Amino acid sequence: MRVALTTILLLSALPAAAQTGLSSVTTTDMGNDIPIAASPVQEKCITIMSGFPDNGHIPRYQFFKLTQELTTDIDPMMRSALDYFGDASVTQNTPVVEVIENIANPVFRQAAPEITIGNMAYLADFALDCETYLTGQIESLTAYDQSLTDPEFNIVIAEDALFMRQILSDSLFRIGAQDHEIFGPYVHNYASGLIRSRDEIEFAGFETELAMIENSYLSDLDGRLARSNDVINKELDQEALLIALEETEDLNNHARLESKSKMIQTLAMILGGG
Amino acid sequence: MNSRLLKTVLFSTSLLFTACATTASGKSQSVLMTGTAVPQQLEAATPDGSLLAVVRYPAVVNENAKDKYRADYAASAIGGRVDKSVAESEEARGMIDSTIVKSNYFALSLYKELAARLPEHTVLLSPHEIVLDANGELTSVPITQAESLPSVVTIDFAAYTFPHPDKMMDKNPLTFGDLISPIVTVRTDHRAAVPTQGVLLTSQPLTESAVGNGYQSVQASMDELQSGRFDTDIPELDFVAMISGDPRRSAATQGLSLEAGENRVQIIPMEKIRMSGQSIMALDKTQAGIVDPLQPVFSQGFADRIVDMINDTASEKTAMGRRADAIASYDPSLAALTFVGSDSADYQARYSYALRMLDAERKYLSVQSLRLFDGVHNSEMGAQVRDMLKAEYGILDKRRELARKQNQATALAILGVVATGVAVAGTGSSETGYPSYAEQLLTQVALNATIYAGASAFAYRDESRAVGGNYLASIVPALEEQTNVQVSLIDSNETITAVRFDDLKTKLKTLYDEKQRSLETIATRCAFNQSGAASGTWMGVCEGGVASGSGVGVIQNSDGSAVEYYGYAQNGMAQGPGYMIFHSPSGSYALEGNFTGGLADGTMRMSKSGRDDELRNFVSGSDQGGASSGAIVASPFNQLRTGA
Repeated sequence: MRVALTTILLLSALPAAAQTGLSSVTTTDMGNDIPIAASPVQEKCITIMSGFPDNGHIPRYQFFKLTQELTTDIDPMMRSALDYFGDASVTQNTPVVEVIENIANPVFRQAAPEITIGNMAYLADFALDCETYLTGQIESLTAYDQSLTDPEFNIVIAEDALFMRQILSDSLFRIGAQDHEIFGPYVHNYASGLIRSRDEIEFAGFETELAMIENSYLSDLDGRLARSNDVINKELDQEALLIALEETEDLNNHARLESKSKMIQTLAMILGGG
Repeated sequence: MNSRLLKTVLFSTSLLFTACATTASGKSQSVLMTGTAVPQQLEAATPDGSLLAVVRYPAVVNENAKDKYRADYAASAIGGRVDKSVAESEEARGMIDSTIVKSNYFALSLYKELAARLPEHTVLLSPHEIVLDANGELTSVPITQAESLPSVVTIDFAAYTFPHPDKMMDKNPLTFGDLISPIVTVRTDHRAAVPTQGVLLTSQPLTESAVGNGYQSVQASMDELQSGRFDTDIPELDFVAMISGDPRRSAATQGLSLEAGENRVQIIPMEKIRMSGQSIMALDKTQAGIVDPLQPVFSQGFADRIVDMINDTASEKTAMGRRADAIASYDPSLAALTFVGSDSADYQARYSYALRMLDAERKYLSVQSLRLFDGVHNSEMGAQVRDMLKAEYGILDKRRELARKQNQATALAILGVVATGVAVAGTGSSETGYPSYAEQLLTQVALNATIYAGASAFAYRDESRAVGGNYLASIVPALEEQTNVQVSLIDSNETITAVRFDDLKTKLKTLYDEKQRSLETIATRCAFNQSGAASGTWMGVCEGGVASGSGVGVIQNSDGSAVEYYGYAQNGMAQGPGYMIFHSPSGSYALEGNFTGGLADGTMRMSKSGRDDELRNFVSGSDQGGASSGAIVASPFNQLRTGA
């Protein structure tokens, strides 16, 4: 699993300074470009998204999807807990790769879990506030390349997200958040949600493997049965029924003549007197 | 003249005995078509891991069983007695053998209709082979694995013919040309319809055989449970149980109704249905698979009824037995827990994986059924059956025409007899006492016309019989050819499927084993007891060698009575929510509710033969009378049921 995360990090180049088409939104009116004022949330979302890798649609998809997955089980109370316990100097201009590296950093995890939590709080805030933008990006990327919906590929991303969520949970326990009067129960719930998520990911992986077996066996079986049906149906002697019907016709003609002759005999016997 | 008159009288008398010919008529549609004008929609949820319907039919008669099959078929003929000499004729043999070919073909009509109404991969075909059992008696065994998975209902279908070549034009059941006499059974798992041993609907001649067959199957499944296995018996075809004279058993019955008959078997009469001659004649190769003459007169209405029955019947009880059997092949320690289920995460996770295995099997077997349909219906084999049906229709049509001519001639002959009588009587009233020449001539003409008409009637009758007999005798090789290719096709389908299925199951099992985590609570085998009964077997959670937790128990007593129990137990006895089924030679009934120390204790839902389910109050096993309709019944199947 770690290999997958590493792969993501390697695949991603340094964040682009600006994302054309995301950093500024324009529309055309009578041939003149008129800037549309962005709301503070829009500004925030666009700025942060410009810090996502832009060295290809696959790494972009991976990062958007990973960020979306990270919000699993983060409800408003959990979000408040992250804000409360987190302590990291992350700004809107911090590249997202750097934020993720900070979360995965084992030194921070051990020595300064507040930094890990703070970085996660930043990502969660972004993902929840900019959910529409994230979903839009993910949908347009999958529309552009259907292979991005490949279940196996997405399971790898979900496993990476789970790994990071596990780090968050560990960090929260490390600073004793589970014992907090208000946030403690939510921290516990979050931890038990990780088990459920693990089960779901494992089941999704199992489903994927099973689907591959099913597809291979079902198409193979279907082909074999179809071929066998054709071969066996060709063996059917179609003459047999024709012969039977011709024989029936002959016998019927014979029977007709016979019954006529029998009728004549009967008539002759009765009418012939005696 | 007197001698001729005498002969005429004798001739006419014999003609009167021959009487009018019947014209092989049939009902315009099955009784199943009434009351279901609107196609039924599936409303019920499919039980976990279950199919919705399996269509079973006699597809093949094993070479060793052919003679016995023909003899038993004739000996137990529906609609009359068939002399041994007739039964052994080539024509009768053709009629008996053609029932297999026709059953194979027309079962597909029902399959097609059900598949159109129910979700993908939830309807399977289960062709059966008729074989001899260890005692040399007829039985049938499924050729494919279709019945290894649970199904809400199974439907037995056969196209029946009374095996007497001379009675083809009479009122007896017949499947020939445009006529069909379907005999059917719809059954569910016996746990979902205890008093009828699972039988929901049957054709009238099959009822007692179907109930008896169900009971035998229940006994066999209980034997397996008693021995610590979940193997569920697959009952032989009810049609085979009937002709082989297997033990019969009665059950409460009711007529056909759109309202589900709780604890009663719905009966439909033995029918002879006439399909549209136009659609039979349209069965040429270009129309293959498009024209289905059975659909508008039978299969459409029957499929709607079946969907309706599925809506009424589908529940955990219909699937739990065979599902445990199927799951046991992957995970024996999980199987016993699936009857009642558990909320624990480890159980739920494992159960989801096991269900996905059954799902894979279901899809696989569904492909096999679709290909069987394709191989029989859409290929040369189907085309030949359609040609055969057209030819038979031609034969019947010819015979109907001859019958009409015979009837006209008979009527003329009878008129002639009357006219001759009048003429002869008239001659005695002349003044001279002797008939005049004109009177003699009139009598002679009437006499001759009578004789001619009578002779014609006999000739038409003979020709009609010959037409039917000739076809039946000639068609035997074509039927054999058809049957042989049918056998090859099903065998080949099953061989390919079985080889690949085993391989698939091995792969599935490996995948399942790789992915599993341990169960905190596992099922084992231990003792299950009930006061005053023999010691039984418990498959489920045990403690100290006795039942303690959820599971299934069975106790078989030496007097033939037995108890099945699904639910919770403590100290080796039923304790808590449970479902207990009591079997005795005279009948079976069920109680669902709370148990204390092995005894019914609280509000129980009672299912008894011939009565709708009732809510009764029990205290320490004793029935205290009816409970209020809103009383809550404790159910072991993860839900609380309230009285209606």
